[in-house]
Amino acid sequence: MTELSVDSRELEGIVLLYPRGFINAHTVRLFEGEIQKALDQGRYRIVVSGADLKYIASAGLGAIMGVVEEIRTNGGDIRLAELNETVRNIFDILGFNHLYRIFPSEVEAILSFREGGETGIPKA
Amino acid sequence: MSARRPALVLRVPSRTEFLATIRDVTRRMAEVAGFDSAQADQLALAVDEASTNVIEHAYRGAPGRTIELRFRDEGPSLCVEIVDDGDPVDPRAVPQVDLQRYASERRTGGLGMHLMGRIMDSVTFRRGAHRNVCCMVKRKPTAGTEALP
Repeated sequence: MTELSVDSRELEGIVLLYPRGFINAHTVRLFEGEIQKALDQGRYRIVVSGADLKYIASAGLGAIMGVVEEIRTNGGDIRLAELNETVRNIFDILGFNHLYRIFPSEVEAILSFREGGETGIPKA
Repeated sequence: MSARRPALVLRVPSRTEFLATIRDVTRRMAEVAGFDSAQADQLALAVDEASTNVIEHAYRGAPGRTIELRFRDEGPSLCVEIVDDGDPVDPRAVPQVDLQRYASERRTGGLGMHLMGRIMDSVTFRRGAHRNVCCMVKRKPTAGTEALP
């Protein structure tokens, strides 16, 4: 069984990433590569839609951490949606919920980019 | 049988392909020990992180070495030891995690160790007989206890 696949599509200039499976030290390069593809194309509005993301280890969190400054410097943001309880707990344990905007649904994450100009660290 | 006898010893090659096996075995051992599914997921993550540290730091990515995991049900708690015979590891050398600074400085190191510390009740390191031993202990849940956070 493949441990991770990452589909992507673009909607309204937003890159939607769909990781399916597990992100850890073994699979993280694939995840990083998909984020990097978006950045290489000048796409700085990214939603990681995690309905099929079973598990994420620090390698995956580090992949997000490693690009967020570049993304925000370019006026974009990387936002997360539809995380299952396991993944959401990992974000909460590390305090990532204070660094990234996390939405219950993909639609809400997409619509949040329409708010205009509101990027970066979520409000307390 | 001694109460301190390992309930299960797992030896896997020092390759990231085997992290999935480590995760699956840890989840199963945690559930057998009495942890619920969410807690078992967190324990699996902590052991994944410790094993990744062995591969990346103690063995510096060398694939032909061995990681030994010892699972021991100690009654009120579950103990997992991760053993390697790689380079000495000094956990004091791991940077303290400051997420705001990490984001601005594009740093990612130390997140795994930070997660291990947040998930487990105790994480200790010792070195002996040319081996590193990372010992992680998690108390079993009592009624009303839930997984972090």
